[in-house]
Amino acid sequence: MMKGNRVAITGVGETPFLRKGEEGVMKMMTRASLAAIADAGLTPKDIDGYISNKYAGHGSDEVAFAIGAGEKRFCATTDSVGGTATSGQALQLAQMAIEAGLARHVLVPYAIQSTKPGGVYGFHAREPQKAGIEMPVGFFGQPTYFATMANRYAHEYGMTEEEQASVPMTYRAWAVLTPGAQRRDPMDFEAYRQSPMISTPLRAADCCLTTDGGGAYVVSAVEEARDMPHPVVSVRGLGLGFNNWPQGVLFTQTPCTYDFPGEASAKLAYAMAGCDPKDLDLAQIYDGFTISALVQTEMLGLCERGEGPRFYAAGHGMPGGRMPVNTSGGHMSGGYVPGMNLLIEAVRQLRGQEGERQVPDAKLCAVAGLGGNNHSTTILARS
Amino acid sequence: MGIPIYPPRIEDPLFQGYYDGLEAGELRITADAETGEWIWYPPEVIPGKPDAVLEWRAVSPEGSAYSFTTVIRSLLPGDHKGEVPFTVILFEPDDAPGVRVPGILVDAEGVEPRCGMRLRFRAVQAGDHKIAAFAPVG
Repeated sequence: MMKGNRVAITGVGETPFLRKGEEGVMKMMTRASLAAIADAGLTPKDIDGYISNKYAGHGSDEVAFAIGAGEKRFCATTDSVGGTATSGQALQLAQMAIEAGLARHVLVPYAIQSTKPGGVYGFHAREPQKAGIEMPVGFFGQPTYFATMANRYAHEYGMTEEEQASVPMTYRAWAVLTPGAQRRDPMDFEAYRQSPMISTPLRAADCCLTTDGGGAYVVSAVEEARDMPHPVVSVRGLGLGFNNWPQGVLFTQTPCTYDFPGEASAKLAYAMAGCDPKDLDLAQIYDGFTISALVQTEMLGLCERGEGPRFYAAGHGMPGGRMPVNTSGGHMSGGYVPGMNLLIEAVRQLRGQEGERQVPDAKLCAVAGLGGNNHSTTILARS
Repeated sequence: MGIPIYPPRIEDPLFQGYYDGLEAGELRITADAETGEWIWYPPEVIPGKPDAVLEWRAVSPEGSAYSFTTVIRSLLPGDHKGEVPFTVILFEPDDAPGVRVPGILVDAEGVEPRCGMRLRFRAVQAGDHKIAAFAPVG
């Protein structure tokens, strides 16, 4: 197991999050990277390590060229999906590189152009099982897959419409307080019910947003971070969980289709951090869909298994609640730059920079990242 | 309720047996030819056994719903507005526990879909091809 509090996130930055932007992935990654480097008090010449994301479609050579970087000494690519790659595995690789003396300041850039031709589910259409068996019966697209999980979950644990609605309503309440969030209009239960049904029981409000945007962060050794501009936010715990079900069979053939490897990642992260869920001040949870967010809430240990709907319905994740969740609106109301905007929000909360939505005296924040057959739990601490 | 129309793309002969079964009115899935263990969906490699061979075997037409969803907005590529709503079922055959075959719910007017509901398979026409469908039993 890696040791906690050895590396820190010293710079964060992002582009505006737009429903449809004018810029491509490379330009957004560049803008976010330059913002993160400046936030760390560095220049591009100081960056000597890169963690690329294989789904972003651009390697470290392109990024280094675009930001006008100095000598590159380390590069690697994450081999996971969604939030696991950006808020978990990239940090793991960065810490390994820094602790091994291979790099001093590691840049993790990412951007997504959800509106590009081919659609957000184009990668699923290329999977032979989906094209051959699932698409002909109309079983296609992530809202549809996750809807079957939600119905199975409700069958096993119970979930009323009001309880389900309380998940996106919680994140929206935070987005209302967040300049730059994509959806800032208040949403009560009646407004939720006006949201169009996509695939029962999931409405549009139960799904993450469509976003064109980018985000980036810089990782440095804790000793270096003490001399950098912001309060030190260190990586105290980090765990990755994997099951070996390929993406093509993941949504149908696993014994329990919503049993993401989140308990495994959380167990590793808490062990590395030497803390328990009750020690957390807040959490950022990968909210691709209502069902996946509430299951991860349980897997993080914020409530008992099967009690996610009651956790949210009781208001525990709301502003002023006992465990604030997705304090910039998450992926459902803030913006969908998978995992990245959640991690950036965690860092800024721990620095105490979030103004009206600042969680008082936030010292410890968990970030949960989901990637289907993989999952990450990252525990960040203000040192 | 509607019927989704989306021709299967069978670039891999692995899947042809499934559609041969539907044409014959049977639900066929893949098994390890040597051990008889159900291996579904058919993978390119049976885990740990690259020399092993898959064969198609008919399963029980009766089973139950692992889960379901009623699609209001089809996310299939292209314009499919005229085909909704339809209900997708993840069907578990009685003699292949843990295996799930996706299909649509039919003959279910006035029946609320639910997990665990008892179902019986039949193939239905969807444009130029057949797809798996499941009707409530009892």
